[in-house]
Amino acid sequence: MSNSAPWEQYHGKVITSRGGWKIGQGVKCCGYDMMTELVGKASYMQVVMLNATGRLPSRALADWVEAIHICLSWPDPRIWCNRIGALAGTSRTSSVAATSLGLLAAESNSYGIKPLISGVEFIQHAWQQVASGMSVEDFIQEEVKKYGGKPFLMGYIRPIAKGDERIPAMELVSKNLGFSTGKHLALAYNIEKALNKQYGETMNVNGYVSAFLSDQGYSPQEVYRIFSFVVVSGVTACFSDTEQRIEGGFSPLKTSDISYKGPAHRKLPI
Amino acid sequence: MTSSFSEVKSRGDKFSTKLETKITFEQAPEHNPYHVQQQLIHGYDHLDLVENCQFLDVLFLLLRGNLPSKQESKLFNKLAIAIINPGLRHPSAQASIIAGVGKSDTVNILPITLGVFGGQLDGAGNIEETLRYLRKAARKPAADFVEQALNHEIPSVTQLYGDADTYANILLDTLKTYAGTGKIFAWIYQLQFYIYPKNVGITKTTITAAILADLGFQPRAAASIMQLFSAPGLLAHGLEYSNKPLTSMLFETDDNYIIEESSDVK
Repeated sequence: MSNSAPWEQYHGKVITSRGGWKIGQGVKCCGYDMMTELVGKASYMQVVMLNATGRLPSRALADWVEAIHICLSWPDPRIWCNRIGALAGTSRTSSVAATSLGLLAAESNSYGIKPLISGVEFIQHAWQQVASGMSVEDFIQEEVKKYGGKPFLMGYIRPIAKGDERIPAMELVSKNLGFSTGKHLALAYNIEKALNKQYGETMNVNGYVSAFLSDQGYSPQEVYRIFSFVVVSGVTACFSDTEQRIEGGFSPLKTSDISYKGPAHRKLPI
Repeated sequence: MTSSFSEVKSRGDKFSTKLETKITFEQAPEHNPYHVQQQLIHGYDHLDLVENCQFLDVLFLLLRGNLPSKQESKLFNKLAIAIINPGLRHPSAQASIIAGVGKSDTVNILPITLGVFGGQLDGAGNIEETLRYLRKAARKPAADFVEQALNHEIPSVTQLYGDADTYANILLDTLKTYAGTGKIFAWIYQLQFYIYPKNVGITKTTITAAILADLGFQPRAAASIMQLFSAPGLLAHGLEYSNKPLTSMLFETDDNYIIEESSDVK
């Protein structure tokens, strides 16, 4: 048998578990008939989560995820991905290009979408450690050791500011939608308590989301896929603003605004 | 349970009030501070570069801070041509022709195709990791890494569609004339000698990483350079299809469109 045989089953064919359009027969979406079972019956976020994971979540959970999407993208063009949108607007790109480029910018280890993978991995790992007998305090010390004595626990410590106004907002959403505190979120609160006592640092919204969705049974990669477009509304907002102002009006820089630190004027080698 | 720590306070981080660069100096004319009268790139007058330099030499200057030597210039050019065309079958080229045939806005063709080329399948997705690995590994003999290579533990050293990559092996030999004196290129060449007969091999990503490392490029520059060098071939295929009818794209028949049973419980 040829070593390329595993690819032969896909040659000239599309094989998918997600669904598709058969002309004259309708559209299937992860086992559901889209027009009769989803349209007008499921929310948009339910279908987004269905397509990302293959599982249709409850309406309440999709509403929760929709609420946290609002929390995670606001129209401030000083924020990295939003600034891309604003710069695209002032450069007169299209809205679609601006928004897509802002989403790409948020594919970052420092902010945006990727830290959610690490956040979910962290709290699920923490749960395994604590469930096997380690104290929360010892677990924190183990993690702090990894970062040269600094309390850089994923889901804790917010850049630029201390504290996170999005957590109480989401706690209220959780309560109103009827969610109770699961084992991961309870642990996240306990870690926060201990971390604050020793280092004066607290949970950020990544920690809250990661713990909540771990309690709902999602894996790190599933959370990442669900949140692929999480910054979309803020980026589009910033594009929309600068696109309607004078061209080049966002962050115009004079030559004197740039501090040149390179070599002085030199001649080309002969 | 709720968080007791929702009060928000600034950490007081100091952000820059002025951008700084070692690359570009611009002098404005008197009448408009946003215009440019003269531009220097790493100290060289831009117009002198226009008059006297080749494109890739100026690219090298921009990224490394100095013009390349003749030998570096030759190698950089050879690498650029070696990976200039991933070919129509590569997923990124297929994405390019979809953008073309779908009449996507032409300014979006390159971002689309290069985004797909940013994946790990014979693309730029793990070149940064590869370059980091090679810089460290090349301190020891390649023979010490054969087992790791055969176990697919070296980034981008693998198989392509079930076998060691035939064309990467041909390119490796072709480039040896120009890159053979480089420490890291010599290391992957040696590694390939041991592993290719066992049907695991270096890829175009490995070759690109090795040459860029020997030319002194940092890992974080590697993915973008690989995308840049492969962009012409990818773009050409997208543009080739941009004047063709929609029906010239692949669209599998319903008979060849298989929807698996969903695992979701309704």
